[in-house]
Parts: sequence; structure tokens; C-alpha cells
Amino acid sequence: MKTGLLVLVFTIAAAFPAAAQQINLDFPGLADKADEVVDVTLDATMLRMAAKFLSNDDADQRNVRDMIHNLEGVYVRSYDFGSDGDYDPRASADRVRSQLGANWKPLVNVRSRTKENVSIFADMRGDKVNGLVIISAEPHEFTVVNIVGPVDIDRLASLEGEFGIPRFSAREKSHD
Amino acid sequence: MTAMATEVIAMPTVLARARGGDHDAFAELIETHEAMVYSVAWNFFGDRGKAEEIAQDVFLQLYRNLATIESESHLLFWLRQVATRRCIDVTRRSRLKAVSLDDAGDLPAREHAADPLLDKRLRQLVGELPDVQRAVVTLRYQEDLDPAEICRIVGMPVNTVKSHLHRALQALRRKLESH
Amino acid sequence: MNLERDLTRALRRTPPPPGFAGRVMQRIEREGVQARRVRPVWWRAAAASLTLAALLGGYTAHHVIEQRRGEHARDQVLLAMRIAGAKMRYARQQVHGIGSER
Repeated sequence: MKTGLLVLVFTIAAAFPAAAQQINLDFPGLADKADEVVDVTLDATMLRMAAKFLSNDDADQRNVRDMIHNLEGVYVRSYDFGSDGDYDPRASADRVRSQLGANWKPLVNVRSRTKENVSIFADMRGDKVNGLVIISAEPHEFTVVNIVGPVDIDRLASLEGEFGIPRFSAREKSHD
Repeated sequence: MTAMATEVIAMPTVLARARGGDHDAFAELIETHEAMVYSVAWNFFGDRGKAEEIAQDVFLQLYRNLATIESESHLLFWLRQVATRRCIDVTRRSRLKAVSLDDAGDLPAREHAADPLLDKRLRQLVGELPDVQRAVVTLRYQEDLDPAEICRIVGMPVNTVKSHLHRALQALRRKLESH
Repeated sequence: MNLERDLTRALRRTPPPPGFAGRVMQRIEREGVQARRVRPVWWRAAAASLTLAALLGGYTAHHVIEQRRGEHARDQVLLAMRIAGAKMRYARQQVHGIGSER
């Protein structure tokens, strides 16, 4: 494989009548080792409040407001490490995976020796995604995103720009 | 013709001076209203000692609450209300009965009494009425208040006051006729 | 017989025994009865102003706090969505890249 990537793509065909769940995003000791930590915890109340402050004049913010309209929660943990070996990427990722029940189906699993390993899981109800977990593990960074509620994946992937806020990580990443 | 300028000097009222802590002014207020307060208790109980005690208590309460009295008319209303309610309270607490004719024998003679015996008999019969009827009759005939004014003092609807008054007069007539 | 006229006469006001006012004043002295203080109008006005100011201040502070909470929540949402969107795009790019290599 020219890119050195092993990509496994899973197709979800069946409907799983499972409810979207909030998962435990506690990673004991990880924050102490990290140079930078991002911790986003937004329940339904906070999302409704945030929606009121999203601008109508900005296309991205309008887009985000539409996306979070029916969400029950958005949770993010991201740890940026100063050097390789500061944490165990596999153990951290497994800690999240182990919490995902049968209703959670893998959508994408990207594995790379040099870049990010990204796994995306969806809680499916019919053809609707009712929850999403994104696990991104690379030598210097570990990120988990948990979105609870109906998610439009295409719309999420189409989000561009900085939304007028600083980048979440001090370390600029190159995915290209 | 010489133009005369009239200078009006606003003098503080007795009430205002009493509110300001003037004891002489407060004593003056007592003298102005003591007959009314004392008579409410006297007509209620027919007992001189009890009437004196209740009247004193009412004025002590007034002394404590002078700050809340806004005007002369408010003062009169306040005294009538507190005196009446205190009489009802005392009756209900002690179940004091009206004095008998014998007990009332040493009542001070009243001027202008067309028939002292009838007055005495009436006071005794009023004293035998239920407490609320007694209060309503006292306010109606001692203080010459109409039912609308009485209802504010006793805290009852005006129709209830009228009903008490009607029943009281019926009972008094019945008792007078039976003797 | 006119009952109402007779009642008016029988129940007319009677003065208390002489010296009543003096006896009341003596009780006030003896029992140390205290008149409740009259607060001057200016004091009440000042108290009302202070209360109003406190309420307005409280409302303003509450409004400012809510504004800050809302803006913070908005920034958090945008950050979360940006991170999620970036990871999604990365995964898609890798999938499409593999597809185009084949």
C-alpha cells in the first residue's frame, strides 16, 4: 500500500433500535501527562443556550445551529502530548471501544503507522445516526468526540473554517 | 381699605406630637378617646374593672404602634377595631359572661336616662348576646356606625354584619317582651 | 317602645373613672413600654433606592453572567464541531484516497 495506510470500511446495512448513549470520557492520569487538554461538556441545556448565541450572519454558525438543534449532548476530550510515548494510544482507544454496546456500529476505521488512527462509530436507528463516537489516536494526540442525538454525518464532515475561534490544538496537524 | 395679610402657621397635631415622642400629647390623645374605648369594653362586659383593664391595654398597644397611625380618622378606626377585637378575644378566652342585674347595680348613673331601669336591663341583655352580636350592637348603637363601617372593624362581609344585627335585635325584643 | 332609640341611649359612651390617662401613662413608665420607631421618609426612600439598585445590579449581573455562559457555550460548540468535522473529513479523505489508488 503506497500510503502505508490500512483502511477498513464497514458498511452499515441493518437498522439497530438502540438509543444513543453518552459514554464515559474519563481517562485517569492522561490530563496530567498532556501539554494541552481540551474538555468540552455540553448537555442539552447548554446546547440550547449556545444556539441562541450562534450568529445568523455566519454560514458555518448557522450550519452548526441547525446541527445541534436536536442533540442531547456533545462531549469532547482531546489531549496533546509533548513527545512520543507519553501515553498508550491503544489502551486509551480500547477504553472507549469497550464501552460501546452492540448498537454501536463501526462506520470507518483508519489505521496508519505514521499518521492518525481514526475510528468512527455510530448508534444507528434505521438509516438515521442517533449518536456518534469518534476516536482519534496518534503518537502526540488523543481525541474522543461523543455526540448524543441525531447526527447528519455529511453535514458534520462539511463543516469548514475556524468559526472565529482559535484552533483547538497548539500543534498544527497535517492530514494531507 | 387696608389689605390684611393672614399668616397661617401650621401647628403640629396632637397625633404628630405624640408620634414624635411627646408624652403629654399622648396623654391628650388618651383623654380624647378614652370614653369611646372604655365604653366599648364596658358595654361588652358590664364590668368596670374589666373595662378599665381592656381600655388600658388598648392604649398601651396604641403607644407601641403609634408609628403606624397615619391620621386622626385612622386613629379612631384603629382604636375601635382593637378595642372590639380585644373584647371578643377576652370573651372567647375566658368565656366571661355578662354581669347580672345585681352585679350592675352600682353602675354610675347616666345622664339623660329616660328610664334607668330600662337602660340597665338593655345593657344586661346586650351582655347576654353572643360575642360577635354584642360587638355589632355596641358599634351600631354606641358608636352610631352603619353596617358598612362595622364590617371593616370586625372583618366580616357587610351582609353578615346586617344578619348579626338583625338577629341581635330580634333576640333583644323577644327577651324584653318576655319580661 | 323604640328599641333602637333605647339602645342608643343605654349604650352611649361613658367616661372611665377619673385619672384614666394618668394610669395608662404610669403603666407605660412602669412596664417600660417602647414605641416602635418611625423611620423617616428619607430613610425609607433611601432603603427603597438601595433595594432597587441591588435588584437592578443583580439583574444586570445575572444578565452579564448569562451572556458570558452563552458565549462560552457557543465557543465550546464551535470547537467541538470543528474537531469532529476535522476528524470526519480526515477519515473520508483516507477512504477516498484508497479508493482512488485502486
